[in-house]
This record gives sequence, structure tokens and C-alpha cells, in this order.
Amino acid sequence: MAATASSVDQPHSRASGAGLQFGLRAIALTVVVAFFISAGNVNIGAIGQGLGYALAGVTVFLTFRVLNFVDLTVDGAFPIGGATCAILIVNGHSPEFAIVAAFAAGALTGLATALIDIIFKIEGLLASIIVITAAYTVTLHIMGGKSNIPLLGEETLISRHSKTFRNWLVEQFGDQMRRQSTNLLEIIIFGAIVIIVLLILYWFLRTEIGLAIRATGKNEQMVRATGLNHYMMIVIGLMAANGLAAIAGSMVVQQFGFADVSLGFGLIIRGLAAVIIGEVLLRPRSVGQFLVAAVAGMLIFDISRAWIFSALDLPTTDIQFVSALVVLAALGAPRLYDRWKTYRQRHGG
Amino acid sequence: MLSLEHVSVTFNEGTPNEVRALRDISLAVADGEFVTVIGSNGAGKSTLFNVVSGAAQPRAGRITLDGDDITYQPEYLRSHDIGRVFQDPRLGTCPGLTIRENLSLAAIHGRQAGLRRDVKPAHESWFYEKLEQQHLGLEHRLDADVALLSGGQRQAITLVMATLTKPKLLLLDEHTAALDPNAAEQVIAVTEQLASADDLSVVMITHSMQQACQLGDRVIMMNQGQIVFEIAGEERRNLTPADLIERFHSLDSGVELSDRQLLA
Repeated sequence: MAATASSVDQPHSRASGAGLQFGLRAIALTVVVAFFISAGNVNIGAIGQGLGYALAGVTVFLTFRVLNFVDLTVDGAFPIGGATCAILIVNGHSPEFAIVAAFAAGALTGLATALIDIIFKIEGLLASIIVITAAYTVTLHIMGGKSNIPLLGEETLISRHSKTFRNWLVEQFGDQMRRQSTNLLEIIIFGAIVIIVLLILYWFLRTEIGLAIRATGKNEQMVRATGLNHYMMIVIGLMAANGLAAIAGSMVVQQFGFADVSLGFGLIIRGLAAVIIGEVLLRPRSVGQFLVAAVAGMLIFDISRAWIFSALDLPTTDIQFVSALVVLAALGAPRLYDRWKTYRQRHGG
Repeated sequence: MLSLEHVSVTFNEGTPNEVRALRDISLAVADGEFVTVIGSNGAGKSTLFNVVSGAAQPRAGRITLDGDDITYQPEYLRSHDIGRVFQDPRLGTCPGLTIRENLSLAAIHGRQAGLRRDVKPAHESWFYEKLEQQHLGLEHRLDADVALLSGGQRQAITLVMATLTKPKLLLLDEHTAALDPNAAEQVIAVTEQLASADDLSVVMITHSMQQACQLGDRVIMMNQGQIVFEIAGEERRNLTPADLIERFHSLDSGVELSDRQLLA
């Protein structure tokens, strides 16, 4: 992360033209990605999946970047959110209520990490590992002792509209669209959820509490000296961040059609990769741009992984290995680039 | 009014590394008074500030501010009434946030942070005025990231933030020591202006005998956790750095002044 840390040093400067530059980079990136998707024959399901996981990328941005808190809780908050959502849907509650409840469950997971850090003075990394360990059992209990809950035949945000949407699509664009109807529906519904959540978060980060949270990650001493309770800012920040991870968990569960206790495995790495891919490609400067970059990073993670799969024609058993490679590329490439630059300077190139 | 009664602070108590940082200190600072504190390294000056601001806890004694007992009040609660500026210019402001955002954060001072907008248009002219009074031109750079400012500029912003909401007490901990002479002079000018305008109590630690004589109404000399002498009134008005150094040497403390103190 050291290689890209400098890019976060000024997350709120309003230098003229910075917004325009960011917009142009975002459009250019969209064009390139669209080309890859069509030329590389990538299934557009990857976009829907990226949107499902996107808020977990935002979680990592909030903890690692805004709060400057090394928090792995996302690995636990995500399956807890998924489990909460699944059990409520199975018991006949609406998917909307299930998502809100998942947010609350994820926020409590974040609260646990915050309290362990504050009360016992155990640093974030260890505190969150303790919480993840406990979260595994909590997830199993939420799911009534089962490690997997299928949502077959239940009403989810996707299944609720899938039939109407498919019929409409076929009617409008012909029978060849039938196969893509679920993927398109996911993109529309998840896209809407992600946009709504980002707007709320953007508003929140620009309130007094949001400003204090942003300052806490930069200079805790100063926040105390300003008469604000920085502990409270860590608590609110971690609760909001992990609440978002749980929303992502509940979205992915509805997408997959099942909840599983191991759903959060390695998610922190995926979130970090998303944040770094977004920062490297879009070079965000303001809070809003960073949020967009985190989501874009997650989309690119999923799309490039799907592209590798289709290009090399790999079996699904290889998925975690390919994930690790994509993460390695995202983390390693910027550092390698820096080293190459220094090397060139030294040798007068 | 700030008052310390028989305050003692001991670090690592009961171990071979035990340090008696403050020994039975009593001190009163009246409203509007400006006190400078001098003393060699390890004399207890910074511990005195830490115990007043709540960063350290006393082992014995009582601290009151305007009659309220604040001896064990948490640091962030006391900050409502106590502004503080540190030696390191990086500590007082928040890099990555603009000058406007830093000032907005300071403007929350004394209230609970809520869901109101972080940067308020209504504060604009207030911030502008405060910065304009410093004659550093920072009022035109409200959108600049404070990470891009010089040490002197950051210290000036910190001073404005510390006094923005009119605290009762301002603690200055060698706040010009890390600056070049030019910037130090500017920051001292800002300090004098802010201290006189709001009629607030100021306690300033300094290593500079020159500053100790130039600023304030009273000089306090600390050594080995105790106040060894005070100079006030007529004597203080006629005080020169040479007098101070002589007084220092006349102490049978066995502690030598550092070159930095003599040269400053």
C-alpha cells in the first residue's frame, strides 16, 4: 500500500479541473472495459457480481483509508449480513427488510471490533481477527446451526422481478436476450442499490460527524484537542463500514441464491484490491471520487477475473487461485512500476 | 482562572525508572494573564501542560478551571475550554483536509458533532476575518490542503483553530521552536494579537529567553519538577535575557543551560 498512499493525501482538494479530469478518466476506463467485455467475450454476469461485492470495497476504503484502521472485520461482517438476510427471507420477510437487518448485524460486528480496540487497547488487526473468529460461530447460529441456507423458490430482489423482466426483454429485443435477462436485472437492481448507498454515504461523510471521522484517521491527537471524542468516531466509522459489508453480503446471497458460512473467505484481500485498482486507474482526489473509485475497482476486479477465465478456459475450481493472481497484480503492479521508474532514473533512461 | 493545588505527577512509580515529573506544584493563572514558562529539558514543563490538558493524570492534587474541578476530566471534554498548540506543526492541523475543513472542525468545538453540513457557508466570513488578521494571506487559500503549507503557516492556522471558539485557557508548548526565525517571528506576532484580542489566559513554554522577556506578564522558571522562581510586576517589565540567564546560574541546581537556550 505504501506505493499508493500518496494518492490519498489530498482526498478533498477542490483544485479546478480535478473533477473534470476524474470524469474523463472514468469515461476512458469505461470504454476500455466495455471493449474488453465484448472482445474478450466476458459474461456480463461479472458486472452484476462486481456490483454485489462493490460495497465491501467501500468498507475497506472507509476502514483502511479514511479511518486509517487496519480492519479485517469485513471477512466476518459479510457472511453475518448474508446469513441474517437469508434467514429472514426464508422466514417470509421482505428482501428490503432483510437488507436493513443485515446492515444492523454488520454494524454490530464493526462495533465489536471497535470496542475491543478501545477497551482492551488491542490494535485493529488483532481485534478484527478475534471478531472474525467469533463471527464464524455467530453466523452458524444465525443460520440455525446449518452451514448453508438455500433461497430456492424464495422471493428475493432478483427473483421477484425476474419473470416480468424476462418477458419484457424478450418482447422488446427478441429471444436471444432470454439468456442474459437475469444478469441484466442484477446489474439494474444492484446498480441502483449501490448508487443509493453511495449517495447516503457521500452525504454522511460531509456532515460534522463525517468530517470528524475523516480527521480521526489523519490526526487523532488533533481531534481530541478539538474537543471531539475520537473513540466515538472510530465506533461510528467501523459500524458504518461493516454495515456496508453486510449489505454487500445480503446482496450476494440473493444473487447466488444461497447463504454460506464461508462466504466471506478472503474478502478483505478482494476489497483491498478493489480500492487499489480504483486508486491507480482513476487517481481520485475528493471523497466522492474515492467512493466511485472503490466501486469501479471492484467491478474491474470481477471483470478481469472473468476475462482470465474465459481466455484460458479454466474450470471453476481454479477460482481462488485466479483471484489471488488478480490481487497480486493489483497490489504488485504499482510497486513494480515505482521500482522501474527509480531504476530508469538511476541509469539515465 | 486556572489553578493547580499541590499537584504531583510520577511516571513508572515503584520501578527503578521512577520519574517524579511534578513535585507538589501550585500555580494560579488569572483571567487574561499571559505567563511564560522556562526551564531546562526534563524540568517538567510539558508534564505541567499534559496534566492541565488531561493527557496525563496527577498522582495527587487538584486542578480547577474557573472553579470547576477538572483534575480527572477526560482530555476531549476539557478541550472545550483549553486550546493547545504543540511544538510540532504537524500535530495541530489535519493533513488531507483543507484549511476550511480544519477550521470547520475547530468550529464544532464545545458542541456535539452532529449531522449538520461539515462546511457551513455562514462561517465563511468568520474564517476569512480570522485569517486576514494574521496578514499571512491564508484567507485566500481556504481550499488549500494544509499538508501543502509551511510549518509557520500550519502553526498560525493551529493558533486560529485553538482560539476560534474563545477558550478560557491557551497552552503553547514551544510552538515556535521548530520554525525558522522568520516564521517564528510571524507566529509570535499572531500569538500576541490573538492573546490580546480575546482577553484569554495564556501559558507559554519557551526555550527562548528573548521570548520569555518579550511576551507576557509573568515568567516562571521550573526545575526538577518544581517552580523555582517567578518574576512578575515591575521586575518583569525591566527584565532582560541577560538577567534571566544570571538568575538561572545563581540557582544551585547543578543543571546547565543548553547552548540552544543561551543562543535563542
